Amino acid sequence: MSIDHDTLRHLSEVSVAVELETPEMTLNIGPQHPSTHGVLRLVAKVDGERCYDVQPVIGYMHRGYEKLSEVRTYPQITTIINRIDWVSGYANEIPFIVAAERLMELEVPERAQYIRLILTEMARIASHLVFNASYPLELGAATPLFFALRERERVLDLLEGVTGGRFHPNFNRIGGVKPAYGAGSQTRKLAQDLPKGFLAETRQAMDRVLEVCDELEDLVAGNEIILARTKGIGTIPPEVAAAYGVSGPNLRASGVRFDLRKVEDYLPYDRFDWEVPVGENGDCWDRWWVRLQEIRQSAKIIQQAIDSIPSGPLQAKVPKVIKVPKGETYVRAENPKGEMGYYLISEGGLGPYRLKIRSASFSNISILPWLLEGVLVPDIIAIMGSLDFVLGDVDR
Amino acid sequence: MTTSPSDTATPTPDPLADYAAQVAEAVGGEVVPAKATVKVKVPTDRWVEALTIARDELGLVFFSWLSAVDWSNQVEVGDPPEEEVEERIELLCTVADISDGRRVTFSTDLDHDQPVVDSLIDVYPGADWHERETWEMFGVDFVGHPNLVHLYLPERFIGNPLRKSFPLLSREVKPWPGKVDVEGMPEEEEQESPTTENPGR
Repeated sequence: MSIDHDTLRHLSEVSVAVELETPEMTLNIGPQHPSTHGVLRLVAKVDGERCYDVQPVIGYMHRGYEKLSEVRTYPQITTIINRIDWVSGYANEIPFIVAAERLMELEVPERAQYIRLILTEMARIASHLVFNASYPLELGAATPLFFALRERERVLDLLEGVTGGRFHPNFNRIGGVKPAYGAGSQTRKLAQDLPKGFLAETRQAMDRVLEVCDELEDLVAGNEIILARTKGIGTIPPEVAAAYGVSGPNLRASGVRFDLRKVEDYLPYDRFDWEVPVGENGDCWDRWWVRLQEIRQSAKIIQQAIDSIPSGPLQAKVPKVIKVPKGETYVRAENPKGEMGYYLISEGGLGPYRLKIRSASFSNISILPWLLEGVLVPDIIAIMGSLDFVLGDVDR
Repeated sequence: MTTSPSDTATPTPDPLADYAAQVAEAVGGEVVPAKATVKVKVPTDRWVEALTIARDELGLVFFSWLSAVDWSNQVEVGDPPEEEVEERIELLCTVADISDGRRVTFSTDLDHDQPVVDSLIDVYPGADWHERETWEMFGVDFVGHPNLVHLYLPERFIGNPLRKSFPLLSREVKPWPGKVDVEGMPEEEEQESPTTENPGR
């Protein structure tokens, strides 16, 4: 053999300039892939590193809640709907309870509304902190996870202190919120509605949350790898987002200043001073940024609500057996994941005649086939993670 | 609680009702009463046209959801409607704007046994999955939908689970456990408690 060293070196440096013929390949991602946030399966048709057709396969977690609601009473249904988006279980209850209250024409006491608002915002912070933990992790940065989950645990502890549940509080009652110690007529007068020191501790926790937001911003926003992997990736134009029903932070990342907390009146958000953060380009980076800003806004709202929370009863007067009068209504709320709504049709019975559950993640990921066309395979994970969905919220 | 989101201005009789009348006139439908909700019923053959007008002229560019209701007095589970209702499948679709917070729920009545309607997929691409769901859950046929296959349910699933005639199968083989666990409140023993009124519940 007479190949000299120069030739060998030369050969190793020659890059392959010809177009390699790559066969099309079908790549199955999931249903048990850690980045799919549950059991989502993606059938991706890839050509080399680029995928040209992605079809999500959902339904692995379908629990038939809409059918189940037809055979349950109104108080029983709050238990079910806690489990739709379990990362922010508390926030799921609100629109359903409000829908039933509207049909019953109940006036909910101010204090109960404030407690609902504070806990909803705490659920939002917890949910967005999970996103801030998991999203950098999916891109290969493990450290933010510890900062975010540590703070989330504090928030969940407070939530648990009030409601008794970390994930599934089941705390709202039609007409108000659950009194702390039993509901017997003897204890009701003495019952303390919030645990001792809850408001002061929450105020402190919110200061900590604001601090950890700064830390997370330092950690993530200055990281070149994360910037390179998210800026300009997975851009959703606002008109496409709207046509697909993409809502919540994903819509605001595309530059649409629209927040249901500003335009609907299911909770008294109009009494507080807060802003709606929006992104510029609608890419993965903006979706991360908007959620971080929303944590800050929620902490601000909670602190203001604590300052101005009125005293008073926790429950409106409701009959023991709850029957909702005949009628129909749609109530939607700004959940951490986006627009969550319930179309409630009552025929005057103990349970709904029909309950349509509009969940945010379902519409948010229905844009995936459009969004993932032509992207690189590693970007699939970056884009999916940035949409922040929960499979319980997709499959219901 | 007042209800209309965007009309915070003057307390006119009911701003929501005015808006509902405007929408109904624009799309050629009629207003249906619903609490704090603008609901407009349109004829089935004007379904796609009405939604196109809503998107282009009324600025309702946000596709919220699409689903259906099975109206029937013959129910396998749950409570039947109190009064006699006309048997039909009512298709519902809510669209909204993304500036003032206006939203409209459109509805149309379809035949109970053979529900057919044109697909909205060309007006709102987001209707794709919602129509697939409505197809498998209610058996509504969407003409023009390119991929009407099961979304949630297994491929070989038979039946339309959200139809009122579809039984809750797990309750057929095993009674609802809550029926024996739950006792009524002491002072209302005479009253029928929710757990005994309906064996399905």
